[in-house]
Amino acid sequence: MNHLAVSMCGLSLAVAALANPAVAQEDPAKKTQTAKTFWGVSAEKFEYRYSDSDEELAVVEGDAYYGTDELKFRWLFEGEWEEAHNAWETLENQFVAQTPVDDFWDAKAGVRIDTPEGPDRVYGVLGLTGLAPYWFEVDTNLYVSDEGDASVDFEAEYELLVTNFWIMSASFESLVAFSEDREIGVGKGLNSTEVGLRLSYDLIDRSFAPYLGVVHERKYGDTADLARDSGGSTEDWFAVVGARLSF
Amino acid sequence: MNQILKNALLPAMVLAISSGAYAAGEHGGHHGGEAVGEPGKAENVSRTIDVTMMDNYYEPESIAVEPGETIRFRVKNEGALVHEFNIGTADMHEAHQKEMQMMVEHGVLKGDRIDHEMMEMDMGDGHSMKHDDPNSVLMEPGESKEIIWTFTEAADLEFACNVPGHYQAGMYGDIEFE
Amino acid sequence: MKKSILMVLLAGLAFSAANAGEYDISVDRVQIDTGDFNKEGIGYNGASPGPILRFKEGEQVTINVTNNLDEMTSIHWHGLILPFEQDGVPGISFPGIKPGETFTYQFPIVQAGTYWFHSHSGFQEPNGAYGAIVIEPEGREPFRYDREYVVQLTDKHPHSGDRIMRNLKMSADYYNRQQQTVGDFFAESGEKGFMATLKDRMMWGDMRMMKADIEDVQGFTGLINGKGPEQNWTGTFEEGDRIRLRFINSSAMTYFDIRIPGLEMTVVQADGNNVQPVNVDEFRIGVAETYDVIVHIKDKEAYTIFAESMGRSGFARGTLAPEKGMTAEVPELREAPLLTMADMAGHMEHGGMDHGNMNHDDMAGMDHSDMGGNAEMDHSAMGHGSMGQGEGETLPEDPFYAKGSGLMPTASNGGKFLSYADLKAQNPLYEDREPTREIELRLTGNMERYEWSINGTKYEDADPIVLQYGERVRFKFVNETMMTHPMHLHGMWSILDVGEGKWNPLKHVISVAPATTVYMETEVDAPGEWAFHCHLSYHAASGMFRKIVVEGGPDSAVAEGKQSEHQGDES
Repeated sequence: MNHLAVSMCGLSLAVAALANPAVAQEDPAKKTQTAKTFWGVSAEKFEYRYSDSDEELAVVEGDAYYGTDELKFRWLFEGEWEEAHNAWETLENQFVAQTPVDDFWDAKAGVRIDTPEGPDRVYGVLGLTGLAPYWFEVDTNLYVSDEGDASVDFEAEYELLVTNFWIMSASFESLVAFSEDREIGVGKGLNSTEVGLRLSYDLIDRSFAPYLGVVHERKYGDTADLARDSGGSTEDWFAVVGARLSF
Repeated sequence: MNQILKNALLPAMVLAISSGAYAAGEHGGHHGGEAVGEPGKAENVSRTIDVTMMDNYYEPESIAVEPGETIRFRVKNEGALVHEFNIGTADMHEAHQKEMQMMVEHGVLKGDRIDHEMMEMDMGDGHSMKHDDPNSVLMEPGESKEIIWTFTEAADLEFACNVPGHYQAGMYGDIEFE
Repeated sequence: MKKSILMVLLAGLAFSAANAGEYDISVDRVQIDTGDFNKEGIGYNGASPGPILRFKEGEQVTINVTNNLDEMTSIHWHGLILPFEQDGVPGISFPGIKPGETFTYQFPIVQAGTYWFHSHSGFQEPNGAYGAIVIEPEGREPFRYDREYVVQLTDKHPHSGDRIMRNLKMSADYYNRQQQTVGDFFAESGEKGFMATLKDRMMWGDMRMMKADIEDVQGFTGLINGKGPEQNWTGTFEEGDRIRLRFINSSAMTYFDIRIPGLEMTVVQADGNNVQPVNVDEFRIGVAETYDVIVHIKDKEAYTIFAESMGRSGFARGTLAPEKGMTAEVPELREAPLLTMADMAGHMEHGGMDHGNMNHDDMAGMDHSDMGGNAEMDHSAMGHGSMGQGEGETLPEDPFYAKGSGLMPTASNGGKFLSYADLKAQNPLYEDREPTREIELRLTGNMERYEWSINGTKYEDADPIVLQYGERVRFKFVNETMMTHPMHLHGMWSILDVGEGKWNPLKHVISVAPATTVYMETEVDAPGEWAFHCHLSYHAASGMFRKIVVEGGPDSAVAEGKQSEHQGDES
């Protein structure tokens, strides 16, 4: 986990830099002539899912950030609203600080607070996000929960330009746990994978891009057993309709 | 320019120069039905007109002559660049500009000087880039030259510098017949 | 021929010579109608573009600028040689002009030619705060023409400057709609073979670079004097007229390739300075540059002024016509160019910005061996323009582009395209002398993050460049990015090295193409503090910017006194 060491190091450096604004402050034009802080709000997923077993889910996955090139504060939000139970099956809020560690990679550190239907969890997060060669967008995080359980998630996305407005995006997500957390249905080892394929059209700039797609979710091993025990499914196909949003 | 390149370009140059000369009409003869006039004899000179060349314009910019008059033009280049004084029609000037462009491209004309050696070099077939038309003088900065010219009859004439770009920028003067 | 010069005053001109050197400008919120969209923006005297300021060389001007906005503003007199306190850069020359305040600029006009002015605050300039300056020389113009027009270009975008900057930071390719698609892949496979195409895409994918990365901000409407292509700005003429066109590129981000099909143009001035005239069929105007050309129209036809953006994502169009309403054919945009590996050479050699290692502003020092094809090649090989019919002649390489660059321009009619190498001063202003020292400025950046810098350091982390009054500094620009950067030095002339010694032209913007090395020299003859930056609005704002401090000189005591008062109270 060399990356993590690097990211921790980078992060502390950035925080130190922020706490010490002495760098060449005497030149007022640095304030007037450059744009330093930026913000953005986007939802990569804002969709409705219909499963082959007639399950219906509303899913939103987005983030908001504020910060500079060197240090950003980011709020990441992920929720799955289950129509049948009128409840959040998943509800995660992450608050992380993010800093570059390489031309294409950022390290992240912060907390994740899960408050879905059922038991809550708080995690410490260390992550790495960026652009891998051949234009794969990658995001991976190590989580350690307040119960002492550790897990790692990995997400990759690739966008294929059918045209400059029609975009086919392929995504892959997986979760691996290093220990079991029975209460929240997490088994040891590979928990789950989610593979998605979405065809979107940039209707208004890149602010509003409606899409249609399919998503395949699967649970594995102990996690699958836990799901079965609680009456849930272990493998689902979804048709999805939604939009990518960005402001 | 190296020798190989020079040789390779020779045929193109010769072709262009000669065609340019024809297109420009035999100087002193008729062109498009207009009489440009002809080289004059010193004993027929009725007037001397001083023309100063600047970068890139003439002083004066307009000259009045009478049909049949022979004039001695005393031309001085007070600019920092090479300039020409050429009597002809607009079409003749245009044709001559192509030749001058070639002189620039081949390093004969170098902005503020003329490569005389290059200019007089025999290109084969007895052709050279020599600039020796009787209606025209080409001058380096500081040089003075004379042209004696007889304006045989009224025509639509201009005196002009055909160094590339100079004419277009405004280095020309009108010859008005009284 | 008419000897007198007919001055054609354009609509929006608020001043006349009778005002004897005093001018009033108000900075206002205005509505900008491009024909494609309507957008609130910022203008001068109630309009965008603002008025054409007509000065006379030797005049002492007083300009009262009233800020009617609810934010700070400023006016920078682009290309004018003046005392640094009058240069209009908030935080460097002066604090800026507060809302409701009137600031009075006062300076002598010591030059002639075509220039422009614009706000140097935030993104007011892309939002519409710009206008033209025409300075009549003390003596006669070394040209003859019957009438003249200012042709001021811009790339008006439906998004505000702040929004564009933010979007670029979120996603550097936000506005790029010319990226290579699946369709392009198969088309290219058909031509070059599947494996070759795949290999090509893998190579670029491996670098995470895009060949189509030529224009950061697409989706604009090109304007000429505030008019979109449909609104068709028209300049009228009479048969036989010689017309002087004063082209000014006031774009935020866009280079234009300009031509007037059917007319040859004679370039007589670049960046306000007379150059030895060059006949061309087409020329490229970098952001913030000006070129004056003379055209001679012998008939009563209409002619289209066609300005295609360098990346071919948009265009500006106007018309020269014997009477208003007459139009000529508007050409199609040519195919968009793609960058090549040659354009990437500078990037590959040095990598992008080094985040772990900021603050090492290594001016001079370091031996950056010359990269790829660049500007210090053999100038003697130039100038063999279009020969006669050009039988099998290879196109002349422009030494100001990398060898094999995808950006190398060619004239649409196969004729002459202006190169920097063609620019020679008409009357050199300075004696040619050896530079006292060389300063290397590597133009650096990280496209993916949309960070731009000089020597790997952004403005906010950089120390000023200190020059001594009286020295002649040779700047070596090494472009390590794949973008073209128009570098603008305030207050002093940039003498572009085209290999012509004393005839090297004076400019105020030096455009540096990807993977090239370009030199300019500066006679340090203006004391005080000056801005020096890439004139692409969003590159400058991202950090491709430096303060230049000129130490010593006649007014040094005054200069220092002034500096201590400066507070950057603009936000």
